[in-house]
Amino acid sequence: MFTTQTLWNFFYVLIFPGALFTAVVGLFLAGIDRKVIAHMQHRIGPPIRQPMYDFFKLMGKETIVPARANKIVFLGAPVVGFISLAVIMLFIPIMGFTAFSGNADLIVILYLITIGGVALIVGGSSSGSPYAGIGISREMVTMMSYELPFVLVLLAVARKVGGDSLVFSMEAIAEWQAVNGSLAFHWSMIPAALAMLLVIPAEVGMQPFDVAEAETEICEGPLIEYSGAALGMFKLNTAMKMAIMTGLFTSLFFGGFRTGMMWSDVALFVIICMVVTLVCITTIHAVTARLKIEHLFKFFWTFVSGLALASLILAWMGL
Amino acid sequence: MILVNYVASIILIVLGLYTVCTKKNLIKIVLGLGIIDYGVNMLIVSFGFNEGGTAPIYQMSDLLNGVAPHFFVDPVPQALTLTSIVIGACVDAMALSLVIMIHRKYKSVNADDVRRLRG
Amino acid sequence: MMQHYPVLAVMLLFLAAFLVEIFGSKIAAIRNLITFAASTTALVLIYALIPAVMLRGEIISYWMGNWAPVSGYAIGIGYEIDALSLFFALLVVTTFWLSGIYSFGYMKKDHHLGHYYTLYLMLSGSVLGLVMTGDIFNMFVMVEIMTFASVALTAFRNESEGALEAGFKYLVIGSVGSSFTLAGIALLYGECHTLNMAQLSAILSGGLTKNSMMAMGLIIAGFGVKSYIVPFHTPAADAYAVAPTSVSMIFSGMVNKAGVYGMIRMVYIVFRAMDQSSVQMLLAVFGAVTMFVGVTMALTQHEFKRLLAFHSISQIGYVITAISLGSALGLTGGLFHALNHTLFKGLLFLAAGAVLYATGTTNLDKLGGLSKRMPHTTICFLVGAAAISGLPPFNGFASKWIVYQAVYTNAVESGNFLYVIITVTALIVSVMTLASFVKVTQAVFFGQLREEHKEVKEVPAIMLVPMYIMAALCICGGVFYNVVNTYLLAPASAAALNVTNYIDKMMGEGYADAAGVVNILAKPVEFSFWNPIMWLVLFGVVMAAAVLVIVFGENSRGKVLVPTENADPKYATFFSGEEEMFSQVGGSDLFWGFKKNWQGYYKVMQGLHSGIVTDYTTMTVVATAIIVLCCFVFMR
Repeated sequence: MFTTQTLWNFFYVLIFPGALFTAVVGLFLAGIDRKVIAHMQHRIGPPIRQPMYDFFKLMGKETIVPARANKIVFLGAPVVGFISLAVIMLFIPIMGFTAFSGNADLIVILYLITIGGVALIVGGSSSGSPYAGIGISREMVTMMSYELPFVLVLLAVARKVGGDSLVFSMEAIAEWQAVNGSLAFHWSMIPAALAMLLVIPAEVGMQPFDVAEAETEICEGPLIEYSGAALGMFKLNTAMKMAIMTGLFTSLFFGGFRTGMMWSDVALFVIICMVVTLVCITTIHAVTARLKIEHLFKFFWTFVSGLALASLILAWMGL
Repeated sequence: MILVNYVASIILIVLGLYTVCTKKNLIKIVLGLGIIDYGVNMLIVSFGFNEGGTAPIYQMSDLLNGVAPHFFVDPVPQALTLTSIVIGACVDAMALSLVIMIHRKYKSVNADDVRRLRG
Repeated sequence: MMQHYPVLAVMLLFLAAFLVEIFGSKIAAIRNLITFAASTTALVLIYALIPAVMLRGEIISYWMGNWAPVSGYAIGIGYEIDALSLFFALLVVTTFWLSGIYSFGYMKKDHHLGHYYTLYLMLSGSVLGLVMTGDIFNMFVMVEIMTFASVALTAFRNESEGALEAGFKYLVIGSVGSSFTLAGIALLYGECHTLNMAQLSAILSGGLTKNSMMAMGLIIAGFGVKSYIVPFHTPAADAYAVAPTSVSMIFSGMVNKAGVYGMIRMVYIVFRAMDQSSVQMLLAVFGAVTMFVGVTMALTQHEFKRLLAFHSISQIGYVITAISLGSALGLTGGLFHALNHTLFKGLLFLAAGAVLYATGTTNLDKLGGLSKRMPHTTICFLVGAAAISGLPPFNGFASKWIVYQAVYTNAVESGNFLYVIITVTALIVSVMTLASFVKVTQAVFFGQLREEHKEVKEVPAIMLVPMYIMAALCICGGVFYNVVNTYLLAPASAAALNVTNYIDKMMGEGYADAAGVVNILAKPVEFSFWNPIMWLVLFGVVMAAAVLVIVFGENSRGKVLVPTENADPKYATFFSGEEEMFSQVGGSDLFWGFKKNWQGYYKVMQGLHSGIVTDYTTMTVVATAIIVLCCFVFMR
């Protein structure tokens, strides 16, 4: 019953590439983001370790459950979100290395990421604040907006890699790229990559797509009543999402690089994640202002989906 | 002439469909349902009909001895039709009772007035 | 002995229906006893068939009055239970058993309960008979009894708003659909001179004539009406909303499954047309339209139960799309989703019923904050909502995953871009389902409690028990999907694809060979996509850690502060410094950005759902015409 494999599985889930690794990489990426954006705005900015300090500080603070809230759901939501995000990295190949290989990782990833958003929505909703009510409405519309291009990107990649057979497996996608070169260098996949770059900030909730947590109008929306450890967990979840989405991008479009050594593979992975963060989160954040929710929806369902659809059709024609 | 039956039953069905699609009076709609039923029943009976056939009432020995003519009307469709007529009558009764109660509640039997559930 | 079980179960339910009317119209105890005894016996009788049919692969046949076929012609009415029939029979008995228990608590406040239980038992018996019969006309009769009982139950609370109207619309659309079915059966009889489905299948295996294509179109339309695919769905939306909730659960759990069963039985076994791409595409398009229209309409509803009704329609779209593919994987996914839909939609309807029972309303704009007053209902509702939205590790995820996989496999193998569009639709519909349940969660269970609901109590235990049973089944179905596949789905989908056994059992050994029937394909599917056990282990570990931290962190700086009786302002909700006041973001206030962009679409849709019965019949007739025409023109 208690074999070595079970122990390895625990190691995978809890430490690498599961919970701990994702959290550390996520907080690191969040730190980089803050530092670089500060420099772009001619500020010095906090140290890169600042998100980690924030997290530990919040863990030690009192958590106040508001009077209108449902206690179990209010406190349970961030934990559920954390758990679902912690396992996603297991399905994403880190260059040559995959912890769990399965048949349908793409859809599993899609749904597990959704749980992270749902946890935020349900937690915010359970707090009973009207600001949170507006926040979850916007969060849900944001989710509906980016889901269409996201799905199209995933299907395009699956078609490109699979040819005439069905491939939803991340591992198979990584293998294919190791042989045929990374997908980002296949011109038919470039629109999909661009679309994915725009999906990432929406998924993570960064400007200009942070309508749900717009702190200047609805006071952080779903997070308004959160404090202490529960808030810390949500901040951690956001950081983990950053790691997961950039990691997914890396693995989908730059999964072809191999150094042969596992540790250098991981380092390369993190570096590419960092570059992706800088491009799609930091830069876009620095140069844009927040969209309105109806414009956001329209933007994703027309422009971004159009890009992704172009890739899908090109892949469908065998290009 | 069996073709007449088929044509007539199709005409009945189409007439019934026309009634349920265009008439706004709920009672007329119920009548339309009845007409569709009759059309279908006629269709079924016609399938079992053999011109010049006899009623299928024989003893087994008659059949074996060849006393009975081998040409008789198929009894199964008639049984089906009977069942279908009974069901149709029940449906009509139920529909009419609903119409009565709708009339009591809505003070109208016009389909345009009976539309509180929509959207 | 075993071959008597199915007939006994059906007979018993009908018999009990009359007994209730005779002995139970006055005294509640007798009424409940008869109902409970009959439904439990039926449950046991059907479950007793599992070992033989599901595990050993036997097919049970029974000739009424022992009228076995004479010289290759089936005259008598036969019951035939293969794995496919038993799969749906299991859904049926489980649904009505749970619904019956729930009714004992839920219907207590109503009058004329003798009639209610009579109709309830007739509905149960008819659907059970429908899924187990081997005779196509007997199927039609059962469909009619089903429609009749459903209409009466829809209009049961005839003093409530819209009940009569919904019953009437249901009746009109339902009997138009039944007439199409009957016309189709008549055409089949005219060609084949038999009503036995096994024999029909053997005769039709030589290729379909124009006549049988027309019959097939009519029968597909007829069962489409019964399974409420768009555009036949309009009476369903009304009926589910106004019927007593225990009945709504029966409707979505077994009445529309009966339509799905009829569809599978007809296209896979009687007509054996699922290897034709035209039929596949016809059903796939109808399925995709159904799921999309259902979910988009659900997003704008203001009524809890009407919203659930549109979701029922939408989920049936998934089932139809999956079974339309004609592949073993698609069939497995479709059946799995049908099973799951019965569970989670039943659960959601029961939760809606609990809300109605406790507060007296299901209007989403007049509720809010019930989670503190009804914690058990809230938990059950959240499980159901997560399951229907397809979140892992609930059962909805497992079945939706198979559906996506099956549809996209079909897309890449056939090279048909249509199936890509359907895959995308299915994925997007899933998100929209999630969105509308977020809306319900926010509008009913979270937010602020209204003044008039301050005294609301949790519903009695007899209503909670069925809800908890279904919630547990929702989780088990998602975690142990392999067990479900091995024991239920694989035999059922194999039964739908392997026709020869079905024919031989009914008509005698060698009949299928003589008629030249060949099985389409026989390979059962294996699938595994992830290991939910691992996820659950992590879930347990982290949850335990979180609970430990909360419990033992009482004295640390980071403790959890729970509001006490003496209101401390730090527990108050933030109102930008203003005084706290009543404010609830209701169901209609949500998703503005979405609705704004879709207003043109919604205008059209609202025009189509006008509530005028003639519009609905016109839609029905036009759609039937399209189906018949497609069958007539494009089939080989």
